[in-house]
Amino acid sequence: MRPKARAIPRQTPGCPLGPVHRRVDASVCPPVFALLRNLFFSRCEKCELGAPQILVSGSGSGTILAIVLPWKAIVHIPDGFLSTPVWATMDVAAAPAVGYIVRRAQRGFDDSRVPLLGVMGAFVFAAQMINFPVGIGTTSHLVGGALLAYTLGPAAASVVMSAIIAIQALVFQDGGILAMGANLINMALVGVLAGYLPFYLWGGGRWRKLAIFSGGALSLMASAVLALAELLVSGVPMPSSVLGVSLALFAVSALLEGAITLAVIEALETIQPGFVRKPETGRSFVLGAIGLAAVLLAAVGVLVASTAPDGIEKLGLQTGIALHVRSLVTTPLTGYQAAFFQAGWLRKASAGLAGLALIYAACLLIGRAVARKRSV
Amino acid sequence: MHRRDPRAKIAALMVFLVVLATAHRALPAFGLALVLLLSAALIWARLPLFSALARAAIVLPFSLVFAAVCWLSGDPARGFSLLLKSYLSALAVLLVVSTTPFPALLRGLEMSGAPRFLLMVAQFLYRYLFVISEEAQHMTKAAASRGATVRGFMAGTRFRAAAGALAVLFARSYGRAEDIHRSMLARGFLGRFQPFGALRFRATDAVFTLFASLAPVLLRAAVERAM
Repeated sequence: MRPKARAIPRQTPGCPLGPVHRRVDASVCPPVFALLRNLFFSRCEKCELGAPQILVSGSGSGTILAIVLPWKAIVHIPDGFLSTPVWATMDVAAAPAVGYIVRRAQRGFDDSRVPLLGVMGAFVFAAQMINFPVGIGTTSHLVGGALLAYTLGPAAASVVMSAIIAIQALVFQDGGILAMGANLINMALVGVLAGYLPFYLWGGGRWRKLAIFSGGALSLMASAVLALAELLVSGVPMPSSVLGVSLALFAVSALLEGAITLAVIEALETIQPGFVRKPETGRSFVLGAIGLAAVLLAAVGVLVASTAPDGIEKLGLQTGIALHVRSLVTTPLTGYQAAFFQAGWLRKASAGLAGLALIYAACLLIGRAVARKRSV
Repeated sequence: MHRRDPRAKIAALMVFLVVLATAHRALPAFGLALVLLLSAALIWARLPLFSALARAAIVLPFSLVFAAVCWLSGDPARGFSLLLKSYLSALAVLLVVSTTPFPALLRGLEMSGAPRFLLMVAQFLYRYLFVISEEAQHMTKAAASRGATVRGFMAGTRFRAAAGALAVLFARSYGRAEDIHRSMLARGFLGRFQPFGALRFRATDAVFTLFASLAPVLLRAAVERAM
């Protein structure tokens, strides 16, 4: 409850009312801020208003506010942003993937453990309300994919994240229905797996803390980069300045996510060591580095390729590579074009994404084969 | 509208969303027509009209930023289409979710082919969402009353304290989930969820689906013919 009469608060850094706030009694704050508060803003402790999650200087607040405002929310893509081929492809790709991951999760958690997964999903929702101070007037909050993967395992974490995305889309209208395939792939599948990868590889040894930190950072970065790539491929205009600022903000929030995940895991281990799973030891460092590099390269590569495909083609022509390429076998992915799509953009993008999936699957299979050979 | 089968409403929603997503021409007129259609549906469902319209505007801040970027990049039509489509889809989803109890909605999704495990997780999530959120709010209030809001003072300690609070919330949620599991077993839970309350698709539902699916299609055809 906000108290009715209050002494005029001093200038609060990061409060969107800025200098006006100094002259206005806290009780007169417009109710729209209460509405937006829990969605986008952290709480300004002086007046319980919303404040953007980055320090905002008075003069630059106009432009920075416009970019920072949807910062945390960007990874949930609403309807209408993605072009028809993109959301249709994502929905078609997500359906069997989610079905597979649900069956995989059911192997480890039978029906009676469903309440646990549901409650953990509710925990992630609630955890997003707890604000972590990370500087003057700045707070951040946990997104949670990596944390779930470390405590429940990757398959169950994917299922919980899928449920979270579904509830956010249905109940809170945060994220579109047609775009849910894209959101599921970005956050529940790629996000969780990318977060689990460092932990799976290096979580058992000396580099455990670094593995947890990089897992948290990677999960957020991978989902954000994929979301940006999908928006770009759909033709949403994003001038390079906006793109650069978005990527910088995502990088910052990815580092924060890693730090928060690490802090929470450490606190959990002091409470009860059994919460955090133990990944199997003895992973090859080189294999892990290759796998990680492949994921990063593919994710960033999709982004770069979707912004400058002409540049890459030009490069190919200039270096004469294009002339020397002879496709001996015609496959559906020939010439980086999936032949069954009309739009040129989509062919390249879908081939790129399929390539990413193939690379990842290959790394996983190689890793498993190596592990099997080792354990024999 | 509240009594229609969830599957009918889901089907109508999907048709509406697909028709909206694929619309490219004559967007202002088509958008207005769809707003009127949804408002009529809201009034028929006896839901408060202006509250629903305002609630659907939650997606607007996000879309406004991108619309501004589009406008500044010289493509205002695309910006307007972003705003319109995101708002209309939010309004349509709000309509369906407000007229269907959540377990019935999940049951309708299950009968349309979604994996039951996932829907069960979603149901428990929804059930305990507000419980755990209230607990988190209690914790933040308790921390605030103990001075956690003192600015710039020992930020590192406050960071670890917030992490500790999250860990405690995790442990409490986990413990609560274990209690739920034990009480379910104590009440005779056999380990598999049986489908409950079979939904019956009646003739009124078929009629509703027909009209609700045809309405956006006909509106779009009419608007594009008139342009």
